[in-house]
Amino acid sequence: MELLSRQETWNIAYDHALGETASFFFTQIRDNAKLYGRRDAKSGRVLVPPRAFSDQTLEPTTEWVEVGPGGQIEAFTIVYERFRGLPEPPYAFGYVMLDRADTAIGGLFKGLDLVDPAAAAKRLAIGSRVTTKFADHRKGDVLDFWFEVHPIA
Amino acid sequence: MTTPRVGIIGVGQSKFTARRNDASYPDLVREAVVLALKDADLAFDDIKAVVYSLSPDAMVGIGNAERIGVDAVGAKNKRFLRINTGGATGISSVISAYYHIAAGICDVVLTAGADKVGECGDSQTVLNKIWDPTYERQLPLGTITMLAMSAVRYMHKYGMTEEDMARVTVKNRMHASKNPHAHLSKETTIDEVMASRLISWPVKLMDCCPQSSGGGAMVLASEKYIRERKLAAAWITGVGHCSESYYLGDRMGRGFVADHADAHALKRSFERSYAMAGVNDPQKQVDVAELYAPFSNTEFHSIEAAGLAQLGGSISQLREGRFSLGGEIPVNPSGGTLCTNAIAVTAMIRAAEIALQVTGRAGDRQVRRAKLGIASGNGGDHQFFGTMVIEA
Amino acid sequence: MTNPSRVGVIGVAIHPHITDARRSLEEILFDTTREALADAKLSIEDIDGIVVGANDQYDGRAIAVMAASGSVGGVDRDILSTPSAGEHAFVLAALRVATGQFRTQLALAWSPTEASPLHEVQRLAADPYFHRALPLDETSAHALQATALLAAVPGVEEAAWAIVVKNRRHGAAAYPGVTSPVAGLSDAYPLRWPLRADMVAAPTTGAVAMVLASPDWIADHQVQNVAWIAGMGWATEPSFLGDRKLAFAPALEAAVEQAYTAAAITAPLASFDVAEVSDTTPYQELLACEALGFAKRGDWLARAREGTFATGGKLPINLSGGALTLNPVFCTGLIRIAEVANQVRGRAGAHQRPGAARGVAHAASGGAMQYNTVVILSRGDEGARA
Repeated sequence: MELLSRQETWNIAYDHALGETASFFFTQIRDNAKLYGRRDAKSGRVLVPPRAFSDQTLEPTTEWVEVGPGGQIEAFTIVYERFRGLPEPPYAFGYVMLDRADTAIGGLFKGLDLVDPAAAAKRLAIGSRVTTKFADHRKGDVLDFWFEVHPIA
Repeated sequence: MTTPRVGIIGVGQSKFTARRNDASYPDLVREAVVLALKDADLAFDDIKAVVYSLSPDAMVGIGNAERIGVDAVGAKNKRFLRINTGGATGISSVISAYYHIAAGICDVVLTAGADKVGECGDSQTVLNKIWDPTYERQLPLGTITMLAMSAVRYMHKYGMTEEDMARVTVKNRMHASKNPHAHLSKETTIDEVMASRLISWPVKLMDCCPQSSGGGAMVLASEKYIRERKLAAAWITGVGHCSESYYLGDRMGRGFVADHADAHALKRSFERSYAMAGVNDPQKQVDVAELYAPFSNTEFHSIEAAGLAQLGGSISQLREGRFSLGGEIPVNPSGGTLCTNAIAVTAMIRAAEIALQVTGRAGDRQVRRAKLGIASGNGGDHQFFGTMVIEA
Repeated sequence: MTNPSRVGVIGVAIHPHITDARRSLEEILFDTTREALADAKLSIEDIDGIVVGANDQYDGRAIAVMAASGSVGGVDRDILSTPSAGEHAFVLAALRVATGQFRTQLALAWSPTEASPLHEVQRLAADPYFHRALPLDETSAHALQATALLAAVPGVEEAAWAIVVKNRRHGAAAYPGVTSPVAGLSDAYPLRWPLRADMVAAPTTGAVAMVLASPDWIADHQVQNVAWIAGMGWATEPSFLGDRKLAFAPALEAAVEQAYTAAAITAPLASFDVAEVSDTTPYQELLACEALGFAKRGDWLARAREGTFATGGKLPINLSGGALTLNPVFCTGLIRIAEVANQVRGRAGAHQRPGAARGVAHAASGGAMQYNTVVILSRGDEGARA
């Protein structure tokens, strides 16, 4: 017997309020190419990306701390598979603990050869130093910056 | 105050496959429900409440899709609510059904659900949308990349290799070959896994779970009901949930409570269900485990979180066969999530499989003399963890 | 079947009309959580578990509980999510306390207005097999139910209109200064006959949190102002509107029976001091009145004219102004329960019914009241039976 199917698409747009904390973070990126974290007084940790409160202590965060532009890799992966709606592979991204921060922020790793996975993985090994690079024209979102590994000595 | 016991008196699961073009989403739910009712020898009228198991609506492409499932589970004019804790949904649903009975509201509860993952195109496209739009939605995050990063940290911390990961796939495929419900049931070798295409370093295609379609259902009943009717049951002796920070980056760096390499909140969840069940020495007391692990590397930290090995210790023990069928504590004798993943019910199937194991009904994948088993489910960005202890 | 051990509500925070755009959703939830905890005079460390009810599509996050979890104290805690309805979070939280395994629970629901168009979000709940091509959002479903009532009950439109007037008047007293904007012809929320623009309220952003506790906890901490759950019931209609008798509410009747049996209610009109019922449209309130045993359909108009259910009447319904005044769509159900809890605790502020000792809340969600939850709350000192 004949089996039928239907095509459907979801067309919903969202206008998400980012709140004061995230707005400050992104305006600093957009206008000054600077990165900031917020300190959770109870644990002492500087949270990056910044939040108005710590979900560990459930207390409001207390002060802004400028972080980066240097940092170290805490986690990474390199994607070689194509997925609908996601970038064209290969690309590398992961998490970086910026200098003076205590948590890691997500971002893309650029400027390295990804053709050889094992070699690229070595360059991105946990603990590797990176520098934050900023786009010339910034909108105020996470794609305004990325990380580049330091050149091989 | 002693809580009356709650037992599992029926389970039902589809033969999971990639696509089910012959059935609509509610049809798949109904399929599993019918199997579970038959297993429990009950009719729809015997069910007094339903807990519906469904994770992201976007996977099945229907908003609040549980509304469409009401008829499939026979819930008209009955108690009905739906649970969503991401990948842990299935086990959270079983546990929620447990609470209905333990609260004394009713004696017989059905929990059921299904997934048709293949219908939404790339599940990673949908799963990218679980991340918060403020800081992370624009990054190409998905569950594969998120857990590939866990693998990277676990390698760094404990020296796990890609061959170690492949070994998990080999073990689970061997188990799945004995499971008529499993989606991927063809045995494989380390070489084959290593040669499969690289998805997200270090995770290769055969380190990943499939996208499965199919349904799962379970019937739970009160001890009074079970005794009065002299039913066979697997007893739920421990339940618990715990969750981590949503922020992956907070599980790294300095001063973290949970490391993204490990499964700290899973350990905390097991602490709760173990305490309830009186399991104080899991390595001695646990006969069989069904631990939610959609990627090969994640089985290691799950085993350790369950207290079945020290941190980093499961690698060598798995290599030695400790967690294979025939070994000391078989882990995922069904083949696990790695071989079958219908997201909405995967974690329920973990509990269902343990129920089968401790009642001696697990067919060719039966763990001999299994009397006490554990099940776990993971959800969100490795954030929500539900665990159960189920005994004969 | 035994009755569950008693569960008490000891803290409430209700925000049906959040207008400041300065906070992100997570920050709103954080503030609402802290407020409910403060009202209950406890800290997050005292919370044994959390249940939230939120809609993935309203939030714009494929698993709504993920980003929200930390805001409500979910880290290192037992947190579950019931996306079927906000009020289901209350149900599950209450069950958990009733097992004796939890001393406290936090239950929350919220409803942002960041998604547009909302009717498209709701329309996605229609099944793709038979109904998705129709403009079947919740307003349409409510309208179909209203149409069924128009056909079944002569004069019902007048009774419905009287409810709108009553609830808006209540709302003006409960939330003074908050204008209830008329949902006119707008991109985000079109209306459907016979629902006139002034028969529904435009969606607002809202959040609500409640703290539940066990008798042991309450005794140990000598908690005052407890609203005890005297009875609770919940049930669902079938999936397709076409399979239902839209002029009636059988699932609500089933939920009422569960709750009334548990609380030994035999004369409903005489048993309660207040009620909060689902009034997303006035027709829902009429159906709820009937199912709850307050007024059969033949008496709707008479009761409306007499003011039986208005302030000062025998049984005031929706002193908060209901969803007809403020409509944070996804959390209106939990708000009904929270409002009755506050009445019984003497904490309903400007719209408090003096001396309210027992009340009933009805929460409905989905198209044309698909899910129905009934919760009876009492001070416990007026002779509530086991």
